[in-house]
Amino acid sequence: MTSSAAQRVPAPETEAVSGARLVVQALEREGVTHVFGYPGGAIMPVYDALTGSSLQHILVRHEQAAALAADAYGRVTGRPGVCIATSGPGATNLVTGIANAFLDSVPMVAITGQVASPLMGTDAFQEVDIFGITLPIVKHSFLIRRTADIPRVFAEAFRIACSGRPGPVLIDLPKDVGVLSALPEPFELPEESPEHLDEAAIEAANTLIADASAPVLYFGGGVAIARAERALREFAERSGIPAVATLKGLGSIPTDAPHFLGMLGMHGTRAANIAIDNCDLLICVGARFDDRATGKLDSFAPNAKVVHIDADPAEIGKLRAADVGVVGDMTAILERLTAQPDVAGWAKQCQAQKKLWAARYDAPGAGIYAPALLKQLSEAAGDKAIFTCDVGQHQMWVAQHCRFSRPQAHLTSGGLGTMGYGIPAGVGAVLAEPGATVITVSGDGSFMMNVQELATIRRYRLPLKIVLIDNSQLGMVRQWQELFFEENFSEIDLSDNPDFAEVAHSFGIEAFTIDHRSQVGGAIKRLLGTDGPILCHVRIDPRENVWPLVPPNSSNVQMLEKGW
Amino acid sequence: MSERLVVSFTPAEGAVIRMLGLVERRGYSLLGLAMEERANGASITIDLQPRDASRRVEVVARQLDRLIDVNSVSVVTPKQGSPS
Repeated sequence: MTSSAAQRVPAPETEAVSGARLVVQALEREGVTHVFGYPGGAIMPVYDALTGSSLQHILVRHEQAAALAADAYGRVTGRPGVCIATSGPGATNLVTGIANAFLDSVPMVAITGQVASPLMGTDAFQEVDIFGITLPIVKHSFLIRRTADIPRVFAEAFRIACSGRPGPVLIDLPKDVGVLSALPEPFELPEESPEHLDEAAIEAANTLIADASAPVLYFGGGVAIARAERALREFAERSGIPAVATLKGLGSIPTDAPHFLGMLGMHGTRAANIAIDNCDLLICVGARFDDRATGKLDSFAPNAKVVHIDADPAEIGKLRAADVGVVGDMTAILERLTAQPDVAGWAKQCQAQKKLWAARYDAPGAGIYAPALLKQLSEAAGDKAIFTCDVGQHQMWVAQHCRFSRPQAHLTSGGLGTMGYGIPAGVGAVLAEPGATVITVSGDGSFMMNVQELATIRRYRLPLKIVLIDNSQLGMVRQWQELFFEENFSEIDLSDNPDFAEVAHSFGIEAFTIDHRSQVGGAIKRLLGTDGPILCHVRIDPRENVWPLVPPNSSNVQMLEKGW
Repeated sequence: MSERLVVSFTPAEGAVIRMLGLVERRGYSLLGLAMEERANGASITIDLQPRDASRRVEVVARQLDRLIDVNSVSVVTPKQGSPS
């Protein structure tokens, strides 16, 4: 958290202003340019005030997409994404997106209309206690009772959403509070206290690093949140310590860097998991020992001491005791880790494992092998591209086979695992970084969960490139049923999917289908060479699985590998 | 084994429910509560018990401490009887 003086005091109003107008003014004052939303009864005063403002409202076709698009916008820009919905079902439809932002520590401000104050607590039409419903999934929340409080609440909400460990903040606005006029009360946000680094802890960390003979740098999404990628890369390069990433850490060190061993965990590389298993020191930076990364926690880095660096003190020791915990600004901490361990031999061993277990792309047959397609697409799209994913097998293939040189290039629902994230996230990413080529990789299950957002893409002519990998099944569930439920395939058949290219056409979006390996090169060229939105429907073998795989309740070194 | 937390906080809508909900969601049973107003805020004493041996009270104390309305959290030695 940086020091900043009292700020954002609104210019004194000389006459009363409607609450809704104060909301719009507050958003403009925060520098908001885009808001994602869907109007309805209780939020109508705000929509009335939106006209004539500087804000560009993106009308989605389902409130969940508003929250997910705002999530992606927040990830790319580092500023809170803003979503708006009405009371009742509008508000509850935001819930998945708010939870998504909470689990992945994304700055977001979600604004919900509420029934008028006198009706609250009476089971009024479209009344729901969204403040109560979202308590477990927000960093903080406000229910505004007085119109005059609106400027202060919004200023606090934006600061809270971004400060420390970011997260979503909900503002619930009763309709009458938005309608009534008031002179906003002057306010000052308290000065944020300057942060002091724990020098003793940093010294202890340097000592452990200097003494280590087989250290591993294990980094996660916290690095990107803190915008500490440069410091992380410099630390990795000057120390020579082999590095592994969580799903959300990918890109903080370029995936093609020589000392980078890949993603760890359930679908990580064998080289990464072997390094973790054999290390004597784990330097955890902005990661949280998530179960998908650690496998069976007791056997994760069993012989390692732990240095844990995080912006959030509550993460230190939550799941794995740290020998040294260092809390605070990640860049400042990493810059102070100057110990030079003697790790040349260890790094060489790790490199050899990386080479030995490198992914293969020579799949037999003439059908399309999705990992190879994604690798080729990623290389053709280049470092400036942004990939957004849905959830399932394709999500893991993107993580395993695409290259990332910055974490903002890989938008994935890591914590919540939200099927339906990909397309709304693509919408948010295109608007957040218009100069980037934004590619959404989806699966046939996930795609149908927010398919209505093709209308949003069409309406705003967003040049999103969609790659829909279709195995006519819920592939990841099928894979687990095959491997761990004795092939009892239950409710995974999606063979009655619609013709996806025709679906896209009906929304006015260019689309085509491929199902043969020889078509991949041309498809990628067409996808990246088209100015507007386009969908490439890719039919693949439904029996294809994601490899490697750590079975549930197993150590990460008990990986199952591909058979060919 | 029961534990006791004393939380100093700024009274605000939802503050108490937010704290108690967090304690339960993070794997603790609530055994007793006592709340009092103070000159510049309020204080709540929470007696709690972990639902399994993996839970450490220091962790939930830090999780409470990062709530916006919370000013400080202390882990205190439990006393016999209900919080007073």
